[in-house]
Amino acid sequence: MSAASPMVAAEPRHDKLRQLGIVALNGMYGEMDAEGVLRQAVEELLAGDIAMVSSFGADSAVLLHLVSKVDPSLPVYFLETGKHFPETLDYVETLKTRLGLCNVVTLRPDPSDLAKFDPDGTLWETDPDSCCHIRKTEPLENVLAGFGGWVTGRKRFQTAERGVLPHFELTSDDRIKVNPLAYFSNADIEAYKAEHDLPQHPLYGEGYKSIGCAPCTSAVAEGEDPRAGRWRGLNKKECGIHFDFNGSIAKPVSQSQLTLFRDGEFRTDPWRGWSEGDVASEARYTHVPVSVFLEQREAFLASSHPIGLQVDPGDRVEDIAGDLARFSSIAINFPAFVDGRGYSSARLLRERYGYEGELRAVGDVLTDQIPFMRRCGINALVVTSAATRKALEADALAEVRLYYQPVGTAREIPVGTRPFLRRNARP
Amino acid sequence: MYRYDEFDAAFVSERVQQFSDQVRRRIAGELTEDQFRPLRLMNGLYLQLHAYMLRIAIPYGTLAARQLRMLAHVARTYDRGYGHFTTRQNMQFHWPKLRDVPAILADLASVEMHSIQTSGNCVRNVTVDQFAGAAADEIIDPRPVAEIIRQWSSLHPEFIYLPRKFKIAMTGAPNDRAAVKFHDIGLMAQTNGSGEVGWAVYVGGGLGRTPMVAKLINGFVPHEHLLAYLEAILRVYNRYGRRDNKFKARIKILVHEEGLENIKGQVEEEFAQMRGGILTLPEEELERINAYFALPAYEDHGVVNIDIGREKILDPAYGRFLENNTFPHARQGYTSITVSLKPIGGVPGDITADQMDAVAELAEAYSFSEIRVTHEQNVVLPHVALTDLRAVYDGLVEAGLADGNVGEITDMITCPGLDYCALANARSIPIAQDIAHRFAAPERSREIGKLKIKISGCINACGHHHVGHIGILGVEKKGTELYQITVGGDGTEDAAVGRILGPGFVAADVPDAIEKLVDAYIEKRESPDETFIAAYRRLGDAPFKEALYGNG
Repeated sequence: MSAASPMVAAEPRHDKLRQLGIVALNGMYGEMDAEGVLRQAVEELLAGDIAMVSSFGADSAVLLHLVSKVDPSLPVYFLETGKHFPETLDYVETLKTRLGLCNVVTLRPDPSDLAKFDPDGTLWETDPDSCCHIRKTEPLENVLAGFGGWVTGRKRFQTAERGVLPHFELTSDDRIKVNPLAYFSNADIEAYKAEHDLPQHPLYGEGYKSIGCAPCTSAVAEGEDPRAGRWRGLNKKECGIHFDFNGSIAKPVSQSQLTLFRDGEFRTDPWRGWSEGDVASEARYTHVPVSVFLEQREAFLASSHPIGLQVDPGDRVEDIAGDLARFSSIAINFPAFVDGRGYSSARLLRERYGYEGELRAVGDVLTDQIPFMRRCGINALVVTSAATRKALEADALAEVRLYYQPVGTAREIPVGTRPFLRRNARP
Repeated sequence: MYRYDEFDAAFVSERVQQFSDQVRRRIAGELTEDQFRPLRLMNGLYLQLHAYMLRIAIPYGTLAARQLRMLAHVARTYDRGYGHFTTRQNMQFHWPKLRDVPAILADLASVEMHSIQTSGNCVRNVTVDQFAGAAADEIIDPRPVAEIIRQWSSLHPEFIYLPRKFKIAMTGAPNDRAAVKFHDIGLMAQTNGSGEVGWAVYVGGGLGRTPMVAKLINGFVPHEHLLAYLEAILRVYNRYGRRDNKFKARIKILVHEEGLENIKGQVEEEFAQMRGGILTLPEEELERINAYFALPAYEDHGVVNIDIGREKILDPAYGRFLENNTFPHARQGYTSITVSLKPIGGVPGDITADQMDAVAELAEAYSFSEIRVTHEQNVVLPHVALTDLRAVYDGLVEAGLADGNVGEITDMITCPGLDYCALANARSIPIAQDIAHRFAAPERSREIGKLKIKISGCINACGHHHVGHIGILGVEKKGTELYQITVGGDGTEDAAVGRILGPGFVAADVPDAIEKLVDAYIEKRESPDETFIAAYRRLGDAPFKEALYGNG
């Protein structure tokens, strides 16, 4: 798996006394005493061995303000991914000046990683997990080893996965993670900002409640989860740098839960299906049903987000043939394996209309059908059957690898088709 | 005939390995019956009333002697010593053990046979005129094109999960002996204005619960474009055929509901896109396949005269055999012999392992090792020199296969019915046996002349009752088996669906009812030369209805 690797590979070395100490620490500090938690960590527990990472996002100002009160020279790392809103970069300077932070360190991705994995800067579009990895996780790992503890701005309310976040955590690599704002609610943050007259992130007023890199952040509606605008439309909640901390935090999606099989392996799937209530202009990484696309075609064409198409049995691919360039992925739905209409849809998309992007089979995708799907141009599979998963992992599909009839474009190399077909199939 | 090259052999062998693995997984309990079902169906393995049934494809009904010997071996080793020829020119074994199926398939593969696509919602075995390549009335031998269609349709990835099964039949002769107008696609050889030979394409025929005569969709498709045209039809059917109701899923319903012109428009549009593309069949490839079907090395026997009248006096059974069981051959001095599998009181289409070996031996000695299977459940020795006729007949007498009843009233098509089939509502074989006993006397049979009785044990019509001159359909009503009788069906180029004349009969009354119809025909016919079907066309339902139900 290429994305969302655990931050630390070391084996856990838990010391019972240390664990008890953490429990005790958590018991000692009241729910609102963020400054006390931070002071304890910075001055007593981990003096000279602690740093923090800040996104300089919508509510970063609160924790940075606390840091400036406790120790303005605490190392504050900022991940300059190269994909930030310009407003965010301005905000870094604003806060440094305003709060007197004198040790803000900018971390940048390894240029050789960028050249290798994201030469044209569009990795976020096709593989957001990997994008986070090279722009956030990797640069941070290089400095992580130097500290025994970290201050984070994470809060319980932010995501469901963080619901039980304590003030002090012992990470699996025996570091201490300090979360002074763990018990802060959204209202507490607002109250704190108001009380101390902290400058807002310039985008906050425009509906951005949780701000990350520009391509993967969108505004949230009134009453919506503030983090709903992050990786909107993706089954992705964390960027990877918060993974694997002491079990109380979301774990990376394990291999066994991945359902997208492509290029010989199961991998993370940034795509989701269209849901009732989705908005055309904001949809991204969403397979839009043909009927929905046709109804709101103008809105989908006007949006710059990556979208896909879902082709159901009975859909006429002719109707969207002119818009194929708009789709980064097309899902052919096989609601039951005996419904073979998807094979015709796939061949038409590939062979007649020249679609070259991802063509995935979804629905009742079973081992014995996969060879036929592939010959019809399908190059990705969403697999839920355990037996099929096993067969794919073992590369043991029940398959006849010889075939008589030409299908596909010249890309299909017929192993031993009839002589006349063999001749014609050569490009 | 066609011989596998390395590719064909490897293809079948991979498929056997694949299915063997699936059978192993089923026996080991790794696959449930639900999961196994579609897999076994793709390989012609059904689960019937008492046991599994394995259906072996006999492509376009052509068998080599060594293949028939292997079928005999399978019958003897793995089954109960016999096999059953079907109306699809295939062979069925009704008692194989699941654990033996991989071995059976491996044995069959060794003689270039398989069971691929003999069931399931895919393109089935292509059937052709049993006299193909031998018949005097033929424009072209359809088998090379049938072989090309077989290859094209084998594990075709787009058409492996059609709405329903799909059957293609072909004839190279204007006299249709392959019932092409009762198939999903029927192909009849045609000559166009410039003397080129191509195919008239009929679509949407079928029997079953909604019998339909196929409609002409294209009057002339040249060889080179035939695959593209077929693919166009299959694509339209795959995309738009009904999938909401199994009983309305055949292409005949699509053509019927949408209208021929509409479907034709869609097919022609699709064809326009495909025409001239990768499916275009080059002349060389057709010639390459044609070479496999080259004429046998006939010998010049000069003019041979056989005086049937004289033979009838000397040996009535042989005379009758000559009269009924031979068919005019394209080559002077030769004939095609139909071996009747309809002995009085037997099971239509059944053949024992010993009989298979006997037929194979006769084919080796007298018919260039070639055998055909007919859709009327008989077998054919296609190229027998007239000088060898008596020797062949004597061999058949020895094997118990010399019945001279081909084309007569006792040469019935009969499905396996409730004696074997899980779908059946009623028995068919005992009905056929009762009728055969009733008309067993050769004189009576000859007096009646050409008359096709076809019997199905349920509405799926495997026994082709709709196209019987007299059709019998077994139904179940309130716990008893009843038999509906139809009259006037015809499976030839004069295709017609038989008409129901009135209420059904209980099994015991069926032979009487048939006798009444026959007597009415004999009474009303203009001369002994006017066949039953011709008389029916002239007379209509009335006299037959009256014969069955009186004036009431």
